[in-house]
Order: sequence, then C-alpha cells, then structure tokens
Amino acid sequence: MAGSRLKVFTNGLLKQNPTFMQVLGMCPTLATTTSAENGLGMGLATTAVLALSNITISLVRKLIPDKIRIPAYIVIIASFVTIIDMLMHGFIYDLWKTLGLFIPLIVVNCIILGRAEAFASKNNVFDSLLDGLGMGLGFTGALVLLGSVREFLGNGSIFGAHLSDVKMFAMILPPGAFIALGMLAAFFNYLGIRREKAKKETK
Amino acid sequence: MRDYFKTGITLMIITVIAAFALSAVYSIVKEPIANAELGARLQAIRDVLKDPSTGKSMVSDEKIPSTASDLANFEWSPSGFQVEDGIIFKGEDGRGKVDSPVYRFTSDDGMEIYIAIASAVGYGGDVKTMASFISSDTGLKLNGIKVLEYSQETPGLGANIASSDIQKRFYPVESSGLERALKVNKDAGVTPTGEEIDLKRETEGIVTVTDVMTGATITPRAVTVSINTMYQFLKKAGVK
Repeated sequence: MAGSRLKVFTNGLLKQNPTFMQVLGMCPTLATTTSAENGLGMGLATTAVLALSNITISLVRKLIPDKIRIPAYIVIIASFVTIIDMLMHGFIYDLWKTLGLFIPLIVVNCIILGRAEAFASKNNVFDSLLDGLGMGLGFTGALVLLGSVREFLGNGSIFGAHLSDVKMFAMILPPGAFIALGMLAAFFNYLGIRREKAKKETK
Repeated sequence: MRDYFKTGITLMIITVIAAFALSAVYSIVKEPIANAELGARLQAIRDVLKDPSTGKSMVSDEKIPSTASDLANFEWSPSGFQVEDGIIFKGEDGRGKVDSPVYRFTSDDGMEIYIAIASAVGYGGDVKTMASFISSDTGLKLNGIKVLEYSQETPGLGANIASSDIQKRFYPVESSGLERALKVNKDAGVTPTGEEIDLKRETEGIVTVTDVMTGATITPRAVTVSINTMYQFLKKAGVK
C-alpha cells in the first residue's frame, strides 16, 4: 500500500508530467514562463489550488450528482483561485503585483479540472491530496524549467542572475514559448520511450 | 421532475457555500489589501520626494504622511477642473490621463512640490507613472518619477521599465526640457552617450533608453506621454 501511495505522488512528477506528457494547461504554461521566477510563482499558486480543490472535491464526491459534477467542480476551483488571489493581494503584495494578471488564469487551467474529474472524484481524500501535490509540483518543475530556458536564451539570466550576454528576444516573446516547449516535450518523451524500451528488453 | 429540483438545489447549495466562503475571506483580507495598496503608494511618494542629486528626501520624514487620512490632507484640487471617473485631466492629444487626486507638498526649504499620477497606453495596456514636479524661480521642473503599473508590458522587454536604473533615465528635467515635451531618443533621432545623456534630457527633454531597453520603445514612450500630460495639467492649473 505504501508503495502505491508513493506512486500516486510521483506519477505527476515525471511519468505523467502534466506539461510534457499530458500536454495539459498550455495557456498559463505558455503565457507565464517568460522568466524562471514567474514560472515558480505560477507553479506554486497552481499547486496550492490543485491540492485544495482535490481535497474538497474528494470530500464531497459522493454528494454531487453526476449530471452537474463539472459546474460544481468549476465553482469549487474558481472559489479557491479567488481566495488565493485575495490572500496574495493582501499579504504578499509584491509577488501579487508581478503575477496578478496570471492568477485568474489558474481557473482555466485544465490540469485542475482534469485531476478533479480523473482522480479526486474517484479516490479518497489522502490520495487526492498526494495526487494534487504530485501533479502540482510536476507542473511547477516544468514551468521553472521552461522559464529558465527562455530567460537564459532571451535575457541571458536565470532567476535574475546574469549569466551570459546572448539575448535572443524572440525566446521571451510568444514564439519562443512554443519553440522551447516543443523542444523540451520532445526531449522528455524521448527519455520516456527509451525507458520503456529498456524495460521491455530486460523482461 | 424531482431530479431537476435535486440537481438544482445541490448546485445552489454549492454556490451559496462558495459565496459565504468568499465573503468571509474578503472581510478578513479587506484591511490588509487596503494597507498594502496604501503602503505601496506612500512608498512611491517617498521615492519621488527624494532629491535625485543627493538622494535625500526634500521633505523631512515626520512630515510625510503615514495613514490614508494623513495623505488626504495633502490632496490638491485646483479650480477649473472636473473629476470624471477618477480622471482630472486628459492630454491635449488624448493620449495621457492624469488621475485624481493630485498631491501638493512643501519642501523643508519652502518650495512647492506637486505629485501626480498619470497613465498612457503602453504595449499591452495602461502604464501608470507617478511624478514629482518642483515649482521654482527658474520654472517648473521634473524631480523624479516612479513607474507604478506596467503589468501588461512584455516581460524582459517593456517590463524592464520596472528597474530603477532605467527609470533614472527620465529625471531630473529642467523646465526648458519639459517645455519642449519629453520624447524618447529614437523619436528624436539621436543616440547620446556618456554625459550627453543627462545633458540632452535636462535641457532638451530627450530621454535616452535605446541602450538599456533595446527593442522596446512603446513602454518608455508611454512614460514620456504620462509625464508630458502631468506637465500640461500643472501649466493649465497655473503652476509656475
């Protein structure tokens, strides 16, 4: 049992990484990863919403009629996003100022609705929390990586630390987001395929 | 039929609970939010009250307001202007808008300092700038600026306007420079370097940004439009 619990958590990190493997939630991914810091902030905010909404949805999963589960989930998710937006506005003003525009975008992130529908509505509270944290951290990692690549190529820095003088502005602009995401997704899928092959051969 | 009621009522219960949760959180964070906004505004006022050549505040600390009601004492409303939707003045070409209220301070050596906030359209939306102007014998001059809102500008390009090193390129400006209206050096067709950067700005109103903000002209242009609009407003209000 302990092993499968761990699996629930680690699934989202790499094997089913929301960004590179499931290709979910592309809108915030492409829009916010102009720098590593923005990616980290967006990722952590999403993780918080994902964990909270997974817990809540798992708690009420037996009370919600099947027909209206999607609107019910959306109301729950949107409430948590608004709460997090208000808390950030009041207590971490500077970060809210930089990410302010992106926070409402979390509502339309289909990872959150996706996990509610695919996992939280069918599993117990603890597993749902683990799944939310795993998926959220996998998403955060992907965003930080993508943000770092784009910031490094486009601005010559990572997390604001100056590293090189090469500045390809296009990487910070939307086309750079698609190019970098495509390259990284190809790389991670290549790793995945290679691992599968190695597994088959040992069998 | 019963099914409709059941689903409808379930959905209603969920939305009602969500509404209660939201209003509870809102009533808790209302004050911190107001404080954070006020704190940011007061900090910006403190920043633009500094003399750029010495870095010291021209108004001693105890005279700078620390609460909303304190700050209201410094509001200045010249006659002949009407406030509409929080805007007291629109630029002659319609590109810049000056927010209400405008503040007036008196420096420790008796000079009048006007602080206003104006916005102009940047690359993705409004760019908001606070600026302080000093009324002196040689005319009105720009003392300092602080760009307050730039969240829709492109990160890594226009959003670099947030850096205080870049904002320093906009001030101080003598009245001769303000009278000619500020413009970015690309629009003026010159590329000053070294000491020339300060000289061109102070006397001719040419703000050099091409070396520090390559590829982004729209955002600094919005800042110059805002400053020019505030200057037009003060002139029209009879400030010299």
